[in-house]
Amino acid sequence: MSTPDKTQIKIRFFTREEDSQLQVEDKPLYVPISLKRFGLSEIVNHLLSTEKAIPFDFLINGTLLRTSIEEYLTANALSSEAYLSLEYTRSVLPPSYLASF
Amino acid sequence: DSVAAAALAELNIRDLDDSRALWRESTTSTSDLTSSLCEQLRLILAPTLTTKLKGDYKTGKRLNMKRIIPYIASDFRKDKIWLRRTKPSKRQYQIMIAVDDSKSMNEGDGRCVDLAFQSISLVANALTQLESGELSIVKFGEMMEVVHQFGQQFTAESGAKVFQKFMFDQTRTNIHNLVSKSLELFTQARATSSGSAELWQLQIIISDGLCESHETIQRLVREAREKKIMLVFVIIDGINNANSKSGAPAESILDMSQVSYVPDANGNMALKVDKYLDSFPFEFYVVVKDIVELPKMLALILRQYFQESSSNV
Ligand SMILES: [Mg+2]
Repeated sequence: MSTPDKTQIKIRFFTREEDSQLQVEDKPLYVPISLKRFGLSEIVNHLLSTEKAIPFDFLINGTLLRTSIEEYLTANALSSEAYLSLEYTRSVLPPSYLASF
Repeated sequence: DSVAAAALAELNIRDLDDSRALWRESTTSTSDLTSSLCEQLRLILAPTLTTKLKGDYKTGKRLNMKRIIPYIASDFRKDKIWLRRTKPSKRQYQIMIAVDDSKSMNEGDGRCVDLAFQSISLVANALTQLESGELSIVKFGEMMEVVHQFGQQFTAESGAKVFQKFMFDQTRTNIHNLVSKSLELFTQARATSSGSAELWQLQIIISDGLCESHETIQRLVREAREKKIMLVFVIIDGINNANSKSGAPAESILDMSQVSYVPDANGNMALKVDKYLDSFPFEFYVVVKDIVELPKMLALILRQYFQESSSNV
């Protein structure tokens, strides 16, 4: 296995979903910046202890995250020193489209 | 090139008059705490005045019972069986304050930066009043830089010059690099320190505690221990009202979790979520929410350390 960039970033998750089953505790998390939607979704599911994985989409400042956190940081002239708030919503996109990012 | 880079770095410093004002302000606001820390350090760092019985001598005050059997077994040749009272040795200190200059310190409402400045003046002023050793101050982020050297006298003007260098804008927090460079500096400083006195080397790291590569840092922490360099990590905590735009509540590093991936039985990478501080690589760390807590916390941890090391002698 290649050694991926070990850089991590502090983030928090929040959601506007009404369903209380979908609310995570508002606590900071230190995560690899290499994460994309799938990895983030896996974490939220872990925090929610869901029995069947629910696919989530992620938004930063209202914009859908379509890349890794790392690419987002680069595109927005941010560093891993930032503290990111990630909003998650139940994914409404068709699965075939989801597989592409 | 490096000359241009150095010139650029020179530009990126705080105005000297602003720094002087900042130094005065933070010295004044911490003056009571400074005297209190100084007093506590005096008690902890003073050499124990009671004499101790030590071996192994041919004549002395009291028999060393551990030596009796070998003495008899050696046909009375191994005759260094006596303990004597020894004079307490004079201690010398080299204390390095390392302060996090990375951008994460400046996320949120800036209170973390205020607390960092207050911590620098508190510790530096207390050690200067104590007059029992050398003081050095370094800053770190992606790079580590010495902003006040061992052996240099520390004055209010040095304080202002130190403050000038802190911009809290480094885009990485490389604690591994900090510790490894510090060990080199401590080794050099030991070599140039004067003579026979017992030398204690201590580093106080002041940071928000956010760093990656915990396992590799841990190896360096062990190396420091072997070299008798004590590392104390002061985590400035829970004061960032982190995201005022989205209205996130103030949070604490005590509540923070860390995500990692470890291979499971089938060799697949499995997600793991642990408490961040569970793998924190430093043995001695304190979590401080308010500058008022710092003297007490530092005294507590130093006392614990010195007790442990003197009982190991
Ligand atoms: Mg940082």
